Amino acid sequence: MADWLPRGLAALLVLALLAPVFGWAAGQVGYAEPLENAAEVTGASDDAESTGTAPLPDYGVAGLGSAAGTFVSAVVGTALTLLIALGIGRLLGTEQSH
Amino acid sequence: MHIPDGFVDLPIAALCGVLSVAVLAVATRRIDGEVPDARAPLLGVVAAGIFAAQMLNWPIPGGTSAHFVGGSFAAIMLGPHLGALAVATVVAIQALVFGDGGLVVLGANVFNMAIVQVYVGYAIYRLVAPYDEFRAAFVAGWLGITAGALTAGLQLGLSSAFEYQLLTTLAIMGAGHLVLGLVEGAITAVVYRYLARARPDLRPTAEPEVTA
Repeated sequence: MADWLPRGLAALLVLALLAPVFGWAAGQVGYAEPLENAAEVTGASDDAESTGTAPLPDYGVAGLGSAAGTFVSAVVGTALTLLIALGIGRLLGTEQSH
Repeated sequence: MHIPDGFVDLPIAALCGVLSVAVLAVATRRIDGEVPDARAPLLGVVAAGIFAAQMLNWPIPGGTSAHFVGGSFAAIMLGPHLGALAVATVVAIQALVFGDGGLVVLGANVFNMAIVQVYVGYAIYRLVAPYDEFRAAFVAGWLGITAGALTAGLQLGLSSAFEYQLLTTLAIMGAGHLVLGLVEGAITAVVYRYLARARPDLRPTAEPEVTA
């Protein structure tokens, strides 16, 4: 195991803990991205379709509060990304070289 | 910058999907068998860090804000091909698990954030790095995300939902992210400098084959 890995994982946990805090703060200031502004100006906003199939829609967990849902989503998404990217790294690794 | 379904016309979404698959296939081919075992954990942690950082919406008062996207950061840390695969992984998980960004437009979102931002950011970094690595990372983060926003604006402005108001979408996306991109650039440069100083051995330049 790489010696820096524990510190890297700790940094990921800190980011996940910050997610509900930033989520709350973004709600307080009425967070909107340029994409949403462009949709509003051109009248496209109502054309947005929810895919409806996502297991954790909008980074929320059914039955959990907003902050807890955001935190769980951050942990699940971060862990999933870590595992899949690790897998990609191994698949492309020198040991599998052909 | 994550486009939901319904915003981009199907032919444009399909074209972007084909382009994204083609570029990622070439990227994969370029680095297949070239990733040293020691770099796999770095790929994992950088991709996971980008996912987590993207959840932190900057609470900028005044109605327009953004979050870190990290395409340029991934390119600088991992090299462009591995960086593209890292961000594509993030964007795919966001769409499939969290409904952030549509499924039909997944190829368009991957194109803007995992390809345009990554490769444009990397090219800028390489151009400026011989003079000053810190400034190079800043400009790469700043203009990389602006480039990704412009291709998103292009896709939206050529679509019926946006009434083909191409100049409007390009102006709002381009100008918005040109300003907000200063924060992206600052985060890219500060985190890169910290990591480069703490662990110079983790930089892709330490393994030239990854940056090919």
